[in-house]
Amino acid sequence: MATPIHLSRRTLLSLAGLGAGAVALGGCGDSGSDSAGIEWWHIQNTDPMLPVWAAFAEEFQAQNEGVGITITPLENEAFKARLTTVTQAGDPPDIYHTWGGGVLRQQVEAGLCQDITDAVAPWRDILQPASTLPYEIDGRLYGVPFDIGMVGFWYNKALFADAGITAPPQTWAEYLEVVGRLKSAGITPIALAGGEKWPGHYYWAYLAMRIGGIEALSQAAEDDNFTTPAFIGAGERLAELVALEPFQEGFLGASYGQPDGQAAAMGNGDAAMELMGQWAPAVQEEASGVEGGLGTDLGFFPFPAVDGGQGSASDAFGGGGGFAIGRDASPDAIRFLEFISQVDKQRRAVATGAFLPVTIGAEDAIEDPNLAAVAETLANASNFQLYLDQAYAPAVGQEVNDRVAELIAGQMTPEQVAEAVTVVAQR
Amino acid sequence: MDRNLRRRRISDRITIGLFMLPALVLFGVLVVVPILVAAYTSLFRWNGFGGLPTDFIGLDNFVRLLDDPVFIGDLRRGALLVVLSVTVQLPLALGLALLLNQKLRGRAVYRVLFFAPYVLSEVITAVLFDMVFSQNRGLANHVLRLVGLEGLSSTWLSDPSTVLYSVFLVMTWKYFGFHMILLLAGRQNIPRELHEAAATDGAGGWQIFRHVTLPLLAPTIRISMFLAVIGSIQLFDLVWVLTGGGPLNASETMAVTMFQYGFRRFEVGYASAISIAMFLISLTFAVLYQRFILRRDLEGAMTTMGDQR
Amino acid sequence: MSAPTRTARPRPERGNRGGGRMSRLLGPAQSLSLHTVSIIVGLIIVVPIAFALLGGFKDNRQLSNSPFGLPSPWIPENYLEILGSGSFWRQLFNSTLIALATAVIVVGVAALASFVFARYAFRGREMLFLFFTIGLMFPFAVAILPLFILLRTMGLLDNPLGVILPQAAFGLPVTIIILRSFFRAIPGELEESAILDGCTPFGFFWRILLPMARPAIATVSVLAIVASWNNFMLPLVVFNDPNWWTIPVGVQEFQGQYADDSAKVLAYVVLAMVPALAFYSIAERQLIGGLTAGATKG
Repeated sequence: MATPIHLSRRTLLSLAGLGAGAVALGGCGDSGSDSAGIEWWHIQNTDPMLPVWAAFAEEFQAQNEGVGITITPLENEAFKARLTTVTQAGDPPDIYHTWGGGVLRQQVEAGLCQDITDAVAPWRDILQPASTLPYEIDGRLYGVPFDIGMVGFWYNKALFADAGITAPPQTWAEYLEVVGRLKSAGITPIALAGGEKWPGHYYWAYLAMRIGGIEALSQAAEDDNFTTPAFIGAGERLAELVALEPFQEGFLGASYGQPDGQAAAMGNGDAAMELMGQWAPAVQEEASGVEGGLGTDLGFFPFPAVDGGQGSASDAFGGGGGFAIGRDASPDAIRFLEFISQVDKQRRAVATGAFLPVTIGAEDAIEDPNLAAVAETLANASNFQLYLDQAYAPAVGQEVNDRVAELIAGQMTPEQVAEAVTVVAQR
Repeated sequence: MDRNLRRRRISDRITIGLFMLPALVLFGVLVVVPILVAAYTSLFRWNGFGGLPTDFIGLDNFVRLLDDPVFIGDLRRGALLVVLSVTVQLPLALGLALLLNQKLRGRAVYRVLFFAPYVLSEVITAVLFDMVFSQNRGLANHVLRLVGLEGLSSTWLSDPSTVLYSVFLVMTWKYFGFHMILLLAGRQNIPRELHEAAATDGAGGWQIFRHVTLPLLAPTIRISMFLAVIGSIQLFDLVWVLTGGGPLNASETMAVTMFQYGFRRFEVGYASAISIAMFLISLTFAVLYQRFILRRDLEGAMTTMGDQR
Repeated sequence: MSAPTRTARPRPERGNRGGGRMSRLLGPAQSLSLHTVSIIVGLIIVVPIAFALLGGFKDNRQLSNSPFGLPSPWIPENYLEILGSGSFWRQLFNSTLIALATAVIVVGVAALASFVFARYAFRGREMLFLFFTIGLMFPFAVAILPLFILLRTMGLLDNPLGVILPQAAFGLPVTIIILRSFFRAIPGELEESAILDGCTPFGFFWRILLPMARPAIATVSVLAIVASWNNFMLPLVVFNDPNWWTIPVGVQEFQGQYADDSAKVLAYVVLAMVPALAFYSIAERQLIGGLTAGATKG
């Protein structure tokens, strides 16, 4: 379980600032009061999105007499634990967060969420076509996106300059060189949340994409075989990086969003790079407590190409957030998703800096230049691959995270990783 | 008279039946049935959704267990925790128990204080120590810096080679008072005359300890060890909150592994097999320990196990 | 094994059971060194708690710069915010309700069964008793998954009974063992005369036995309350609805929610400790008595 926003004991996908205590634990003060309403679970449990979601719910209720919405904002990790329990109990919320992919597929197969293809069809064209892909299963739609993003390298320009590096690396060979130069300048090249595992899997997945192309990833899932040149090669390249010892001290147990973690190391200027999704700048600021984070020192570059690889450097890897509709939900729940997908609502959400838009026409609401760069890279992406730990079935995704973490710790060979994942996939 | 007797016997039966019924129902439905359910589902490949499991695979889950490096590691780590408990925590608790047995002003205060961590829930203890071991804002590293041991600082919970010892430190902090109380009670049940007689015969402090105190405390020590072993087989809350079993499974226990598979990976069949394995290990250990070591003092030990859950 | 409460508490004041001659030989130097050791151990226990208590009054910058020193300035907001939030009180209420209900059920049910185990001879009694004691080898961790499936089918998820009943069931073995040994110590003549006076077995149990067993009942109740209060795994999987969370679940969730605000988490931890420590100071006797009962063949 682990997507960027996924799994870690204490990840905050949510951005900047602190939510109010009462809200975090007790819902919104009206939770549990009206039983007939719509239950809505989301994971934007802190500022800036928490009040925006609450405002949308208020406005919707004002327009629709007699519809009540009960909001439960949950921290990412807590959300995953709770959703597991309610889905196992066969009692999902009416609207709940989903990353799509294999986890959603399992919920679909268990009959926990509604097929909303026909209900969404009349207004589906307001969404960017690519943004709904993770929520399509066997050609039917089971979720509506509200955010989309991608993973790439966030780097500290000042530290790069200190090490005499003028331009971001374009290829893996150059990248390793950059790491070496940073190290010899006495700078920690990379911050990594080894304790949470999912940030490590980005490296392996991206390398596999660059080596074998995006097809290699879907093919592996189809054949339940990960012992392919793309994945073995990815492990070998990653092992090359690990051999340089590029990570901060104590990275094996480091968290992502905590004061000692990956994001804080970036925000404090203690490390030069991290491979992370579009929320990285906001979490850097929040976790380090440094007002404004790195500010203009922060830059973004896409994952480098691998020499001789099939994949293009413009293939993007990432994901976003969406909402699925629980099996017992009323049509009002789907109408609410339509409501929040409207361009004016999307613009308000995007303006917080927490999301990248999925509704066509909301792009100009992005204010942060780095986020604009991510959005542009994404818009020009030749292909898009969902996080592996979401795209694949939960057990396989978990195995990927666990085994890659062991590779990064030097306890497993590339072949062993590929074989272990294959064994689980074939189960 | 005869008829009276018979009537008495019948009414006794009714009494026995009525009085036992609630306990049997409660225990049967919520303790016995779950283990049967676990035994049943452990024979299937099942993700826990929907009705009953259908994909029967026999003992495959158990075969897989024996091949699972994490599970084997759980056994090894559990054994290490037991060894540490017996070689570090127990002598510490024993020493303090003997210390508090002395006439010491304020010893009642010390006793209450040493036992206090035991009443805090594992979760609260774990969150507290998560903060104590924090790299930047933690107490532990600051203490080490103060006494000039920076070399030791920094990675209590984030280094696979130190994490289990850090967990053990927290366990000791929480449980040594409990073992101390047990041993103190045991020590105070040794008739005073025995020590006095030994002292009159001119035995030194060490000799008295070696030949009088220790042998007479042996039953209590055995129970203390028994509880430490059962406790480490079942360790979950503390580890789950403190480290989640990481980094790299270096602090994982059987219970954590079971939870990961059952509630995270949706491999409910396999997780059930781990449950059954835990049960069998606990049971086997208890039976063997009782047979060969405790013999008759187990009944006493049982009374102290309420806390272990 | 005699009545559990007989050993309920080591009685240091009487001083004639333990130390013997050696205690009289305690010179000032020895006593000083013993005090030193005790104080060091005491500090190891107190310092982390004090660190949390003071840390809750700091902000995160102070916490990073001086985890040791007194807060300057003192910032009571963390504590006030939690105390004013309602969710903390809600959890306190839930924990209390669940602990009391568990104790009542487990003690009631176990007392009935123990009465039979202690005072009636019947075929299979020892087997049945063994059946209950085997339950001790079967901790929550082992049962949690099937228990969850079972509670799901019974529709007891998000229902306090889903925690209370299993806790009571798992508490039975310990409670039965303690109560049985206590009931055995009550002389048989009492029962005979009661029966002659026309008491039914239940009448004797209710009107004579239970009042006599008050100390033992107190002990097992305290054990049940403490076990329930600290239980984490079961409420973790049973309660999705934050309105039912107990304190341990609340603490863990709070830590996840505010991972980056250490001071606030410390404040929450301290507040969560208070009820347990308060209860301990009141019920210390029963608790220690219960734990040492029999373990030492008192």
